[in-house]
Parts: sequence; structure tokens; C-alpha cells
Amino acid sequence: MTVSLQIALPSSYDLSTLPDADVATLAKEGREAAFRELVHRYERPVFSLIFRMVRDRETAEDLAQDTFVRVLNHIDRYRPEFKFSSWLFKIANNLTIDHLRKRQLDTISIEGSPHAATTAEAEATSVDVRSHDESPLEEIESRELGSAIEGAIAQLRPEYRSCILLRHVEGRSYEEIAATLDLPLGTVKTYIHRARHELREALAHLRT
Amino acid sequence: MDRHLLPEEIDQLLDGDVGFGTAPLKTHVRACAACRAELDDARALVRQLEHMPHFQPSALFADRVMAQVQVFVPWHVTALDTLRGFMPRTRTARAFAWGGFGSAALVLTALSLWLLTRLDAVIFAIDMVVGRVRAAVGSSLADMVAALFGSTAVHAFRTSGTVGLWMGLTVLLLLAAVTARAMRAVVTGPRRR
Repeated sequence: MTVSLQIALPSSYDLSTLPDADVATLAKEGREAAFRELVHRYERPVFSLIFRMVRDRETAEDLAQDTFVRVLNHIDRYRPEFKFSSWLFKIANNLTIDHLRKRQLDTISIEGSPHAATTAEAEATSVDVRSHDESPLEEIESRELGSAIEGAIAQLRPEYRSCILLRHVEGRSYEEIAATLDLPLGTVKTYIHRARHELREALAHLRT
Repeated sequence: MDRHLLPEEIDQLLDGDVGFGTAPLKTHVRACAACRAELDDARALVRQLEHMPHFQPSALFADRVMAQVQVFVPWHVTALDTLRGFMPRTRTARAFAWGGFGSAALVLTALSLWLLTRLDAVIFAIDMVVGRVRAAVGSSLADMVAALFGSTAVHAFRTSGTVGLWMGLTVLLLLAAVTARAMRAVVTGPRRR
């Protein structure tokens, strides 16, 4: 009913208030604004997930772009009984894992891309983990801690990385992660358990 | 419980699992400083992970994506949009439009029902109109044939019946086709040279 009302008045309706499934239905009907809304909603989570996997801004943008292009060009295949975001993350993860397998680029410094030829390039590809409402000291500590976590995540195996990022950064349930990554539920739990353990070990020096 | 918590049990508490299985774990954590420290440590890590920021792609990201997306509008959506284009914008105007459509539909329905009750009169009227149209077309054709081939040809057609009429029409069409082709050849001829 909501969707039919919106279709009746496409220009005056606020897409941002609609759930993903309704926006995807409007995209199926060729509404360009609905496509843009889906990109707007998920560009940051998808880009962040991929960036934390590949650690290279340019590559992450290319992979995120491929993800959206694939999903949106096949929007007619989307079934509203499934979560749109799970489908999107599944494509993003598959493309990223394929890329990592091809390039074998699984562990990179938090300070920037290993492909950076100059200091400026390294800076441009580095991860900025600063928060905007911190004092200089807090900022330094936060940056140090944030960098340490980012660095520790970068050291994880790609499959652990996907699981831990989806669980704690994107807030997905174990079941959703299993569906997104095409893994058995038990495997997802094991991966997350091991990832947490490895992260705690890697960050132990910061607690002492 | 006379042992420290296993890593899986720490995970259970970390994920906020509920159920009778977690009650002894919680009791143990309250009593055991080592396990409490372990759990606090794990919770701190989860908090840090949950506060990790999202990164922003470049400003033109959405435009670059949309440049590669084929937006396909199904025909029924196009048709509905076209119809909606004719709909008045304001509520009052829409009410008037719907009122007009409703009245027209009512009048047409009443007219159809009235005509159905007088079917013989309708058939008679249709026959009359068809007869007049046929007579007018026949007269025009006869005039044209008389102008082209003379009144003898018209008489010949009238006496030969339907077969003669069809034969005449076929000859006429053939002549028209030959003439059109000849004219085309005349027009395009000089250009070829």
C-alpha cells in the first residue's frame, strides 16, 4: 500500500523513509531516484567493508562501484523476502575475496597502500580513524588505538575479516552473516571467535 | 563451577545469549576476578569495533555508479506515468476531473442500456448508414472509372458483377504500381548518371 501510494505520487514522496525492500521495488520499476537512494544508503558501509579488506582506496572504490553496478543492473532478480543489504554485502564480499585471491593482497599497513610510490600517495591511501569531537590528547590516543585496531584487522585472514566486520561494524546477526557469506552457521561462529581472540592478542600491548 | 570460563563461554556472554545455560556462567563471572577481567577485556574490544567509523567514498561515487546502471522502465510503468501526466495537480481539480469522468461513464452506460432495449432500431440505423456509405463509394468509383475509361467501362463493370469489380480493381492497382515505378525511374535516373 505504501509503495502504490508512492508510485502514485513519485515526485512528492520521501524515499529515505521507505524500507529497503520498497525502494528496491521502485528501482525495479525504473525509478532512477530509487537507484540513487540505494547507492546513498549503502555506499559508506559497502565501501568501508571493502576498504578494510583491500586497504587501498582506489581498489576499494572500483570494487564498490562494481558491486553496485552488478546489483543495480540485476535489480529485477531481487526478491523482497530477503534483506537487500545481505545481497549487496554478499556481492561485495565475493568480488573482494576474488580480488584478494587474484592479487594476494591480504595484509597491508594502516599507513597506506603498498602500491603507493610517494609519501603523498601513501598518505592519500592511509586510513583516517580520527573522531571529530576529541581533545588533541584523546585524538592521539584514539588515533593510536584506532590505527592499532585497523592494523590488527588487516592482519586477520580475509574470511575472519569479513565475519568480524559484518558482525561488529555492520551489526549483522550470525545467521545473516552465514547467509551473506554462504558459510555454515557453526563456521561463522568459529571464525568470529578466532578473529576476536586474534584481535585481543594483537591489541594486548595497548592494555598493559 | 570449579573452573574458569572457556573461550566459547566468554563468547556466549559477549553475544548476550540468554537461557538457563548462561545463569551459572554469570554467577561464576561475578565470583571470579580473572574471568571477569577476561570478559571485560572482550567487551572493550567489541565496543571499539562497534565504534569504528565508516569511510566515505569519493564525492562522485554515486554518479559513476549511475553512469553504468541501465535504468529500464517497464511499459506498464510508462503507460501509468503518461496517464498520471494528464491528472490535475490540485485536489479540487482532481475532484472535478473524477466527477466529470464519473458523469460521462454514467451517461454512456445509460445510453448503452437504452440502445440495448431498442436493438431492432439500432440494426436498422446501422444498415441504413452502411447502405449510404456503400452507395457513395460506388458512385465515386463509377465517376472515376468513367473519367478514365469512359461510360462503356462503367457499364461493363456493372454487368459483370463482383468478379468484374475485383478484376477492374486489380488492373487499376497494377497500373498504379507501374506508373509509380516509371515515375521513380524518371526521377532517380539523372542522379545515377
